[in-house]
Amino acid sequence: ERGGNNSFTHEALTLKYKLDNQFELVFVVGFQKILTLTYVDKLIDDVHKEFRDKYRNEFQQKGTLGLLNGTFDFKDDFMRLLRDAEESSKVRAPTVMKTFEQSLKSQKTVKCMIETRGEKPKEKVKNKKNKGSKKEGTEAVAAPGKASVGDKQPSTAGDREELTKDEILQKNREEFFKRHMKAGEKSSKSPKPEAQKEKGKKPRVWDLGNSNAKVLDYSNSATNGSTEACPVEEFDPDIALGDRNREPGRLYDLEYESDDEVEEEKVIQNPSKPSTKKGGLGGMFGMLKGLVGSKSLTREDMDPVLEKMKDHLIAKNVAAEIAVQLCESVAKKLEGKVMGTFTTVTSTVKQALQEALVQILQPQRRVDVLRDVMDAQRHRRPYVVTFCGVNGVGKSTNLAKISFWLIENGFSVLIAACDTFRAGAVEQLRTHTRRLNALHPPESHGGRTMVQLYEKGYGKDAAGIAMEAISYARNQGFDVVLVDTAGRMQDNAPLMTALAKLIAVNAPDLVLFVGEALVGNEAVDQLVKFNKALADHSMAQTPRLIDGIVLTKFDTIDDKVGAAISMTYITSKPIVFVGTGQTYCDLRSLNAKAVVAALMKA
Amino acid sequence: AMAGRLEPHLEALGRELRPSDPAVLSVLLALLAVAITLLIWRFVQGRRSSRKAVLLLGLCDAGKTLLFARLLTGKYRDTQTSITDSSAVYRVSNDKSANVTLIDLPGHESLRLQFLERFKAAARGIVFVVDSVAFQREVKDVAEFLYQVLVDSTVLKNAPALLIACNKQDVTMAKSAKLIQQQLEKELNTLRVTRSAAPTSLDGSATGGPTQLGKKGKDFDFSQLPMKVEFVECSARGSKGEEGDADFEGLEKWLAKIA
Repeated sequence: ERGGNNSFTHEALTLKYKLDNQFELVFVVGFQKILTLTYVDKLIDDVHKEFRDKYRNEFQQKGTLGLLNGTFDFKDDFMRLLRDAEESSKVRAPTVMKTFEQSLKSQKTVKCMIETRGEKPKEKVKNKKNKGSKKEGTEAVAAPGKASVGDKQPSTAGDREELTKDEILQKNREEFFKRHMKAGEKSSKSPKPEAQKEKGKKPRVWDLGNSNAKVLDYSNSATNGSTEACPVEEFDPDIALGDRNREPGRLYDLEYESDDEVEEEKVIQNPSKPSTKKGGLGGMFGMLKGLVGSKSLTREDMDPVLEKMKDHLIAKNVAAEIAVQLCESVAKKLEGKVMGTFTTVTSTVKQALQEALVQILQPQRRVDVLRDVMDAQRHRRPYVVTFCGVNGVGKSTNLAKISFWLIENGFSVLIAACDTFRAGAVEQLRTHTRRLNALHPPESHGGRTMVQLYEKGYGKDAAGIAMEAISYARNQGFDVVLVDTAGRMQDNAPLMTALAKLIAVNAPDLVLFVGEALVGNEAVDQLVKFNKALADHSMAQTPRLIDGIVLTKFDTIDDKVGAAISMTYITSKPIVFVGTGQTYCDLRSLNAKAVVAALMKA
Repeated sequence: AMAGRLEPHLEALGRELRPSDPAVLSVLLALLAVAITLLIWRFVQGRRSSRKAVLLLGLCDAGKTLLFARLLTGKYRDTQTSITDSSAVYRVSNDKSANVTLIDLPGHESLRLQFLERFKAAARGIVFVVDSVAFQREVKDVAEFLYQVLVDSTVLKNAPALLIACNKQDVTMAKSAKLIQQQLEKELNTLRVTRSAAPTSLDGSATGGPTQLGKKGKDFDFSQLPMKVEFVECSARGSKGEEGDADFEGLEKWLAKIA
C-alpha cells in the first residue's frame, strides 16, 4: 500500500522498483546508497521493456506453469543493457573550459581594447557582426563587459524585431496623439528618431574639446513647456479606476477570500467541461467499448476517478498527505493492468482502493493482549503497559476501561499514577480504583484486591515512580501494571525527552499511543514526532517505539473514520482498542472490514 | 417415477389443449422442455463438486511457494516472498486422472486474510504449511493464523480436509509432527479462551466468532473439529538439496485421496 514512491533504503543499499501490472511482474534494482547513479531509472525501464517483449509469449499463453517451467535466460541481455546505460551516462563529458588561445579575447588586438575618444569604433562593429542572432549580440554585450561599448550597435539591428518597452510606449503615444490631436504629427515624428538614438546608446563622449551640450541634451525640445505634444503616459481611465459602477467616495468592505477560491475552481472546471460535452456521442461509444473487451488502464483514465476518491477520503477525515499517497500507490498498482469485461474504471479503482485500505488496517503483529499477559504470568513477572498521548485524548478514562476488562478476565491490575503534573490526576485514578474494587470485590476473586493504585503525589519524577511501581507489582504478584503518563504536546521537547526516558528506562511490554478519532491532519504530526522522540532518546540498538494505538472517542464520529487509516499508515502498528464511550463497558476491538465499509460508503 | 407422475398430467393438459390453437400447444411444450432441461442441468451441477481447489496456507517463509513449484514441476526454484496468489492445475500421479487446482496464497500478515476471503469458498482441501525449524519461536503466530482459519464460517460450513504439513524436515533441528501437534493443541486451547474474551468488535460481531472451537470443558483436540485433520512431515527442498527430489510422499498421497 506504500507503492507511491518507488525507492526504498535499507542500511547501505537503495532499491528502486517498477511494477508491470499487466503481467504481474516486479523489477527491482539494488545499488549502494552512496553512489548516485543517474542511469538507474532508464536502466530499469529498458530492462522492463526488453524482458516483457522477449518473454511475452510465455506470460500470455502458458500462465503459471510457464513461469515455473520456463528458463528466463536474461543474464546476457541484462549485462548488455547495463553497459549501455553506464556508457550513456558517461557520454556527456563535462564541458571543457576553453583555453585562452581559443577564446576570442586573444584575437582582439590590444589596440581595440583601448577606448579612443571620439572614434567611432567601427572595427568592433565588424568583429561582432558575425555573431549572428540578436540574442548572441546581447550576450556578447554582457560577456566582454567593459571591453567594447560599441557592441550595442549591432543590437539595434536585431532590436527591431523585438518590441522593447520603449517602443510600446512610443506606439501608445502615437495612438494617443492620433486620437486626440491631429496636429501632433510632427511631434510624433520627433520622438522616433530620438528613441532610436536612445536605443543606439551611443558612447558618451566626455570630451572637453567637443563639449556638445546639444548632443547631451536628451530632453524633448518640442515638448518642454508645451502642453500639446507632452508625452503623457498611457492613461486608460477604465483600467486605472477599476470598477466603473462604483459610487465615488464609498469605501467597500474587504471581499471574502472564499469567493475568490470558488471562482478559481469554477474557472478550472470550466475548461474541462467543454471537453466532456464534446465527447458526448463519442463518449457513449467509448463507454460501451470500455465495458466490453479488455483494455489496459492508463493514468489519464484513472486520474479523474482518483481525484474524486482522494476528495472523498479527505472528507472522511483521512489526513491529506496520506490520502494523496494512497491514491498514488493505487495508481501505480493499477497502471497498465488489463481490465476484465464488464468492469468500469471506477469499479476497478474502488476495488483496488478498498483492498489497499483493508491491507493497511490488518495488523502486522498480533493483537492479543490477554495471551501475552498469560505468558508474563507464567514467567512470574508483571506485564507493563504504558499509555502516552497528547493532552485530553482520554488516557485515564481508557486506562480505567482496560483495567476493568482485565479484571473481568481474572487478572489483577496495579495502576501507576505517573501523571504528576495535571491537577486531580491522582484523585481521578483513585476514584476509578475505588469504583472498580466495588464492582469486583476481593471476596469474589479469592480474597485478593484486583485493583490497586500506586501513587507518590505530585511533582515527582514520573520515570522513578514507574520503576518503583513495577518492582512493587513484582513483589506483590500483580499480573498487569498500567502506567498513566501526563499528556504532552509533540512539540514540547523537554516533555518528550522525559517520556522517552520513562519508556527507555522501564522497558514496558506494550507502549500504547492514545489518539482520538476526531483528529485530522494532526494525527500524522503527533505520531511522527512521538516516534522520533522515542527513537532519538533511547540508548538501545533497537529503540522501543509505539507498539499499538488506542483510538478513543469513536462514538463522536459518525462514519468519518479516517483517523484510523492515518494512524495505522504512519506507524504500521495495529489499533489495539477502540474507545466508544465513557462507561467501563465501552471498549471495542477494531473490525477492519466495517471501518473500510464506512469509509467507502458514499 | 418422475416421468410416471408427469404422464397423467400431460394427458390431462393435452386433452384440455387439443381443442385450442396448436401454436399455443407447441409454445407450452417448448417451455416445458426448457424447464426440464434447466432442472436436469442444475441437478448435474450440484452433483459435480464445484470446489476443486486446494489452498496452500501458512506463515511467511514456511515454504509454500517452493512446495507449490515442486509439486507442479518437480524442480527446485529460488523463491521470493509472495505478494499475490498463484494457481495451477495439478494432476494426481496415479491413474485416477483426477486433478485439483493448487492455489498458493501469500503468507504475509497484511495480505493473508484478504486472499483467504477470496478463495475459501472454493476450497476442497487446505494444506497448512508449518516451518518446523522456527516453530518454537513462532508457535503463537502459527496458532493464531490456524485459529483464524478454523473459526471462519465458510470453512466450518464446508469442512474441507485439513492437512498440516510440517515442512523443512531436512534440517536437523526440525521438530517432529507429533510435537507440533501437541504444541498447537495446547496453544489453541488457550487461544479459545483469550479470543472469546477479547472486546467485541465495532459492529457488534464478536471477534472469535460465535462458534466455540472444539468441545467446551474439555481440552482442545484436533479430533473435535468437524473436518478431517492429518499431520504429515515433508521437506520441499529434499534431503539431497536442490538437485534431488522433494520429500513429500505423505503430501502426495493425501492429495490423491482428496482429489
